[in-house]
Amino acid sequence: MEFKNFAIAISQTKVARFADDLAAGKIMSTICKKCGKRYYPPRSDCSSCMTSEMEWKPMSGEGKLVTFTKVHVPPEHFALRQPLMPFSSVLFEPCPIGILEAEEGLRIMGWMPKIDLKRIKIGMKMKASPQILPDGKVTIVLEPI
Amino acid sequence: MKRVAIVGVGHGKFGVRSDASLRELTFEAVKACLDDAGVSLKEVESMVTGIAGDEFSIALQPSAQVHDYIGFHPKPNFRVEGACATGSMALRTGWMNVASGLADLVLVVGGEKMTEVPTSVATDIMGRGGDATWEYPFGTTFPGYYAMIANAHMAEYGTTEEQMALVAVKNHYYGSLNPFAHMQKKIDLEKALTSFTVAHPLKLFDCSLITDGAAAVLLASEERAKGISKKPVWMVGLALGTDTMRITERESLTSIMASREAAKVAYKMAGIGPADIDVATVHDCFTIAEIVAYEDLGFCEKGEGGKLIEAKETYVSGKIPVNVDGGLKSKGHPLGATGVSMAIEITKQLRGEAGERQVKNAEIGLSHNVGGTGQVVAIHIFRRE
Repeated sequence: MEFKNFAIAISQTKVARFADDLAAGKIMSTICKKCGKRYYPPRSDCSSCMTSEMEWKPMSGEGKLVTFTKVHVPPEHFALRQPLMPFSSVLFEPCPIGILEAEEGLRIMGWMPKIDLKRIKIGMKMKASPQILPDGKVTIVLEPI
Repeated sequence: MKRVAIVGVGHGKFGVRSDASLRELTFEAVKACLDDAGVSLKEVESMVTGIAGDEFSIALQPSAQVHDYIGFHPKPNFRVEGACATGSMALRTGWMNVASGLADLVLVVGGEKMTEVPTSVATDIMGRGGDATWEYPFGTTFPGYYAMIANAHMAEYGTTEEQMALVAVKNHYYGSLNPFAHMQKKIDLEKALTSFTVAHPLKLFDCSLITDGAAAVLLASEERAKGISKKPVWMVGLALGTDTMRITERESLTSIMASREAAKVAYKMAGIGPADIDVATVHDCFTIAEIVAYEDLGFCEKGEGGKLIEAKETYVSGKIPVNVDGGLKSKGHPLGATGVSMAIEITKQLRGEAGERQVKNAEIGLSHNVGGTGQVVAIHIFRRE
């Protein structure tokens, strides 16, 4: 799968398999083989020890919500009818987004399609999971646990 | 290192300037600046141009349009870019030119033409000022990023939507007194609180404006300044802080750490502390950003920013007047021009030329300019003799 199916704008990167992993149901991080520093989003190079020997490791994706919002005035890409903004209704009800603090303090951004804005509380326990959209694109959702 | 003074300032009219192109906007500012200094362009040795976006100007090297249109060739022109902090980075680059002895008289021009593209496109361009690969796929926008900071600040410190709206009320009040402001219109608390939501919890009046505009300053070495200005304003403390590209990796979601870092360095270089600042222009791209800036710059304790505006301490009559030119909120935020415009306001305040908005006997001023979601922050401290 092209990385663009996740990232929208670019396809060419050394970590392009991230999109394939999402499609296979895994949110992947990378770990530096030399110094052990773990990265999410994944990187092909370690800025801590300046080496490029990395290995892939799946995230459990469980953690707590550290902040959120709901963007009512979307950027052009998401404002167009095609492709539709993920999880928006026909009448255009935008979907909240949030940042989850998962294992080792790594934070994952994701859409929150299954929770009403009024029920969202910072600190609530959530899990991040990959999601395949009807148009074949891949993304990440956060759901309460 | 040479001492560097601002010896001339020129501010164009900010607004939806459908009448003018980028190069024409910058011409207005440059002309006003040279007139203010009483210097001809022939005497200027070098220039720095701050323009944030090729996408806004729909050109690859918009700075060449500017040097060409004012007739500066064949002398050097450097373009500087740092999203919303572009103008302050241009000023810093101009300062480096003079401080290093490379040139004695340097023109710094900041400009942005933002309304030629539709609002949805402008929102898109700015949204990609966050991490375009890893965050943009979640529909992030600039208001969206600051909304996440606002929600975190509200949860941690009990900051309220009313307190944020009070920042808008103040900045619109001062904007109404600034002839160069985009929106010269006072608003009340109710209007701010009942405007539509842009990104929860930020409403229309929590957001700065998409604006066209330009601003220019002339910098001189000490020797050169003597013959030009009777009221030179010295740049005595400068700092640039940086932080992670992604907001998800920030040490704090309630502070802009690059601001804290830069403030420390700038205060040290100027040999002063936050209590010595008489007047400040801070980066109020959103009302929450002004509240966070109060805290990051040391104008109040962490978490007390909401109370500072509630007590009206950042009005002209308060303990530390902030954005009494209207701020980005009501003066408008043409990305490349903003930092230069901040320096102009401080210069006018220190010269005693701010009219109705004048802070009495202002001697030391500070400008604080945040790029993107805090990836880069430029702080400058200014002082009159």
